[in-house]
Amino acid sequence: MAFRSSITIVASPRPRVGKTLLARLLTDFHLSEGRLVAAFDLNAGERTLAQFLPDKTTTASIREISGQMALFDHLVAHEDLTKVIDLGHESFESFFSVAHQIDFVEEARRRSIAVAILFTITPDQTSIGAYRGLRDRFSRATLAPVHNEILGPAQHRDKYPLATGGPGVVRMPALAPGLRRYIETPPFSFADSGKVSTMPPDSQSELQRWLRRIYLEFRELDLRILLADLRHSIQFGSGT
Amino acid sequence: MARPAVILVGADKGGVGKTTVARTLIDYFGAHQTPTRAFDTEAPRGTLKRFHPELTEVVDVTSVSDQMKIFDTLGSADAKVTVIDVRAGLLSSTLQALTDIGFLESAKKGQITFAVFHILGSSIASLQEIAETARVVGDANYFLVKNFINNTTFFEWDPATYNSYFKKIKGAEEITIPKLNEMAYEQVEVASVPFVSFIGNKGVKGEAANNSFVLRGYVRHWLGNVWGEFDRVKLVDLVSPKIESNVRQVAG
Repeated sequence: MAFRSSITIVASPRPRVGKTLLARLLTDFHLSEGRLVAAFDLNAGERTLAQFLPDKTTTASIREISGQMALFDHLVAHEDLTKVIDLGHESFESFFSVAHQIDFVEEARRRSIAVAILFTITPDQTSIGAYRGLRDRFSRATLAPVHNEILGPAQHRDKYPLATGGPGVVRMPALAPGLRRYIETPPFSFADSGKVSTMPPDSQSELQRWLRRIYLEFRELDLRILLADLRHSIQFGSGT
Repeated sequence: MARPAVILVGADKGGVGKTTVARTLIDYFGAHQTPTRAFDTEAPRGTLKRFHPELTEVVDVTSVSDQMKIFDTLGSADAKVTVIDVRAGLLSSTLQALTDIGFLESAKKGQITFAVFHILGSSIASLQEIAETARVVGDANYFLVKNFINNTTFFEWDPATYNSYFKKIKGAEEITIPKLNEMAYEQVEVASVPFVSFIGNKGVKGEAANNSFVLRGYVRHWLGNVWGEFDRVKLVDLVSPKIESNVRQVAG
C-alpha cells in the first residue's frame, strides 16, 4: 500500500517541551516539500500555532462531540492533504482515548493515510507511561520518540523502547540562543524567505543549517513510515 | 431439524430501551448468519419495524390469531431465531399467555429453546416484577439486562435487595449494555437503519450514506461491547449449538 498522505500528531502529556515549535517545523517542512498542508491547533489556551501559521492552522477542540466530529471527520477526509496536529498536553488523554474508541488509525489507513505520533521524551514517569500506553493502543501508527535537545541530554532514552523496524529517536537540535528572537515573534513561517532575508547574514546561515538538520530528521522519518508499512505488508503478506 | 429458539425481550415499564436491545440482538444474529425474524408488539406502528422492516412483523401478542402467527410457525419458518419485542407492561401477561398455550411446557421438554431478556429500569418497582416473572418463567434462560445506554444510573438500587431478587431466578445471568454517546444514538435513530448498517455507512436501501466517522466509530465500539456481553453468555451456542461463536467483527 502506498500512502497518499500522512497525519502527524505532535504529542506529550507535559507542557512546555517544544511541541508547538516542532509542529511549526513539521508544517513548514511539508510545505517546503511541495505538499498541501493543514495544521490543527489543539491547545486549550494560547493557540500559539494558529498565531504563527494563521493561514495553515485550524483551531480545534474535542471536549464536545461536535468538535470531535469536526476534527476527526476532517482528518480522515481529504486524502491528499498532509496534516499536522499540535496536541496540547491537556488534550492528550481525551484525544487518544477518542481516537482509540473510534479506530482512528485503522480508518485513516483504509483511506491510504499514514498516522505518525511524534512524542517528546522527558524523564518523568507520566510521560514514560503515556508513551507505552500509545505503543499498546496504536500498534498500526508510527510512534517516534523525539529528543528536544534544548531540554538537556537524554539519559532516559532507554525508557522509551523503539519499535522494531520503526523510526529511531528524532533529534531536534537546539537553536542558537541569539536566533530565537527572530523565530519567536508570530506570525512566522520558516518557509517564508522574505521574512528570513531581513535577518543578518550570519543568523540566516545559522538558521538554514539548523533547519537542514531537522528536515533531514523529518525525511528520515518519512522513509521510516514507508518502510514500516512495507515491512508489515511483507510480514503478513496482506498488502492491504 | 434444528430446534427453534424464541427470545422474549421485555420490560415492565416503558423507556428502558428494550427495542434498542432487540435491535442489537437482531444485528448480532445477522452477523452470525443465523436467520432471524422479529415480532414487534407496539401496534399499530412498531419502532422495531422501522429499523428492521424486512424481518419484523407488528403483532398483538394478546390476540389468539397473532399468537398463532408467532408460535404455530416456529417449526416451519425459515428463521431459526424469533425475537419478540414485548411492549411495556405486557411482559407478565405475555408470559402468562405462553403458559396457557402450553408453550412453556414445550420449552421445558426441550422442543423449543426459550430465553427471556428482562430489561431493568432504574427504579425498585421494576425489580418487583422480577419476582413475578420468575414464577412463570421457571427454567427459561433468563437474562437480566442493565441498560446504561441512556446513562441510566442504578443508584436507587440497594445491592442487597437486588441480589435477593436476582437469586430468585435459578441460573439468571446479568448483561450490561454500556452507555452510547447521545449524539451517536440520535443519529442512528434519525437514519432509521440497523446499527450494523450505520457502522458500515449504509442507508435504508443499502446505498452509501454520509454518516460521521466519529459517530460510526462510537457506535462500532459500543456495539462491540454489547456483542461481547452476548458472547460472554454464549448466546449463539444457546440458539444454535453447532455454530461457532467467534464472530466479533462488527464492520468490515
